[in-house]
Amino acid sequence: MLEHAGPQIFNGLVLGAFYAIVAIGLSLIMNLTGTINMAHGSFMTLAGYLAFAMIARGTNFWFAFLAAPIIAVLIAVIVERTLIRPLYGRDPVYSLLLTFGLSLIAEEVFHVIWGANTLPFAPPASLSGTLALGFMNFPVYRLFIVAVLVLAFAALAFFLYYTRFGLRLRAAVQDTEMIAALGTNTQLLYTINFGLGILLAGIAGVLAVGLLGLNPTTGNTLLMPAFVTVIIGGMGSLYGSIIGGILIGLATSLMTLYVPAASEVIIYVLMAIVLTIRPRGLFGEEGLFG
Amino acid sequence: MSGPTFNRRTFVKGAGYGAAALALGVPAFIPRLGEAADAIKIGVLEPYTGTYAYPGENETIGIQMAIDAWNKRGGVLGRQIEIVKEDEQSKPDVAAQKASKLVNQDKCVALIGTVSSASSLSVQAKSHEMNVLFFASGGHTDDVTGSKCTWNTFRTCHSTWMEAHATAYTLAKQFGKRFYFITPDYAYGHALQTAFDDVIKQIGGTTAGTDLTPLGTTDFSSVLTKVTPAKPDVLVVLVQGDDYTNCMKQADSFGLLKKFPVGGPQVELEPLYGLAPEARTGYWGIEWSYSSDVCLGKGNNAAHQFVKDYFAHYLNTQKKPPTARQCFGYVSMDRMLAGMAAAKSTDSVKVARAIEGEKFQSIFADGGYYRKEDHQLMWPMWVAKLRPNGTPSDPNDLFDVVAKHDAASIEQSVAEKAKICKMAYPA
Repeated sequence: MLEHAGPQIFNGLVLGAFYAIVAIGLSLIMNLTGTINMAHGSFMTLAGYLAFAMIARGTNFWFAFLAAPIIAVLIAVIVERTLIRPLYGRDPVYSLLLTFGLSLIAEEVFHVIWGANTLPFAPPASLSGTLALGFMNFPVYRLFIVAVLVLAFAALAFFLYYTRFGLRLRAAVQDTEMIAALGTNTQLLYTINFGLGILLAGIAGVLAVGLLGLNPTTGNTLLMPAFVTVIIGGMGSLYGSIIGGILIGLATSLMTLYVPAASEVIIYVLMAIVLTIRPRGLFGEEGLFG
Repeated sequence: MSGPTFNRRTFVKGAGYGAAALALGVPAFIPRLGEAADAIKIGVLEPYTGTYAYPGENETIGIQMAIDAWNKRGGVLGRQIEIVKEDEQSKPDVAAQKASKLVNQDKCVALIGTVSSASSLSVQAKSHEMNVLFFASGGHTDDVTGSKCTWNTFRTCHSTWMEAHATAYTLAKQFGKRFYFITPDYAYGHALQTAFDDVIKQIGGTTAGTDLTPLGTTDFSSVLTKVTPAKPDVLVVLVQGDDYTNCMKQADSFGLLKKFPVGGPQVELEPLYGLAPEARTGYWGIEWSYSSDVCLGKGNNAAHQFVKDYFAHYLNTQKKPPTARQCFGYVSMDRMLAGMAAAKSTDSVKVARAIEGEKFQSIFADGGYYRKEDHQLMWPMWVAKLRPNGTPSDPNDLFDVVAKHDAASIEQSVAEKAKICKMAYPA
């Protein structure tokens, strides 16, 4: 059994990076505005369908890969401005219900436009095939996913920690009133932050459909593990989400190897353990959401 | 502006509500318009969301086509037929609850549908409790017409036993006797595995490995990386629906489809259309084909007319040809109504008696009958080699049918079934 562990750890890391990027998007939005975005998965699916539609019309993969998340962000900004904004400052249950409703509507809309059937979405030839890693042959597409995600993490970290805007964003999380009093347009901050979260979701969405099939529920299947990642990693921590994601990715992969039947439940067990011994999550900041 | 009051407890509670809502789905509280009082109402339970949404929709089309045909002929017992649809989401608890809603609230006289075996079993139990006729159109697990068989339930699609036996011999002959299984971890998968184990024992084969994957698995990488070191003669894929699409797509990306022959007891057009051509490969059990005379029956007008009608009415909306699911829906509904017409009643017991053992011709080759002893539809099954790009004239025509098996040669005998299935009609 042990000889399988190497490949599984590798698989787990890829899966974990995936959960992490979705979780970071969720966490960004949750952190600043207290919105539990249940429609996050729908934006992932939306980006996937947009990319599919573009490629089906002859657009090249790379253009679709960049354009689809951006269009998803534009739609997200409209949704944020018109529907979610009036609910800021209210009990989070309001925005949770709203976004949950949106996700149901979105699923039905996808269904009507593209049908219930899974659509074939194959990555371009340059990304298919496998690469010999010595201990296993690993799909090139998965390595591509890892590369994109690492790049996205780095860009996000740079943005949050080394730009003025990132500084304002982090300040707003700590004390919105103060930063508003100092002359920052917080409404704009909220919108850009929401867009940023959806941009990450959109990128993850397009990557996901190259890996999984594309159907109205594709994004939602990845949403639950992402929520668990946020809880385990701790709200408000970029690194927490990364570690949380990798942790549950590894746990799922290794469980599949040794106790397949428990591979689904293991992430919830991990969550329960973390909540018991460290309720704010592994890297959650005390007081922020504690 | 002050920040929202929000803490971890609220979040966990909120996320909990969200999870519960995700699990339960949308309640069926949308009121329906009143229907004509004298119509016979049939309750349709299909998954319209989730992994099996596409086959669920297709079964419904088959059901509707049968009803349209009967209504055009004047209905049954002089009454028109109407359906009331419910989304059972492939969740057994939801399916049972909606079954009871269809009978008690909507006053449906019979039930039809289901794709997932777990839902078939749960509706079977519920309808039995209510003494209502149920046609399990699309759940394959043996138990429906085996250990859990009931007088009120008729099953149209093939049993897992039939599927495994129809294909295992072909695979062993083509590729060898060392199998690696990827098996869905619920009633259907377990039943298939049992049937395959039976064949393996008969032919002296071996199992190189078995992986149980939960229904709705998205990432198969951890399973797939175990296949190469196990060195099987053939990779047998038992998962279905979107899980099948994901599994095959990822098996292709890991290079397995070029390394190992692949096949399985059942493949359907729905998930194949979600795959790129390079992942459409292998030998698979199939339950119907719109294009093959071996499946439709040479000169069988009913079958060819059915295909023609489908193309005339549904091609615009569905964009794809009919699949085995339309066939299941059509045959189930057609036989249920034929039973009512023969019994001159909608009384469940009388209708069930009228259907049992009655031979009929339908939209597949050779005709068939629902066996009296277990209520399994006895009809042929086929094995096809996949054509990755269809034929030059029809890119959707993916099945190259290579073998046909008669029901009697692949299903357990009446004597064997008598030991498992004990059916008792109400006194």
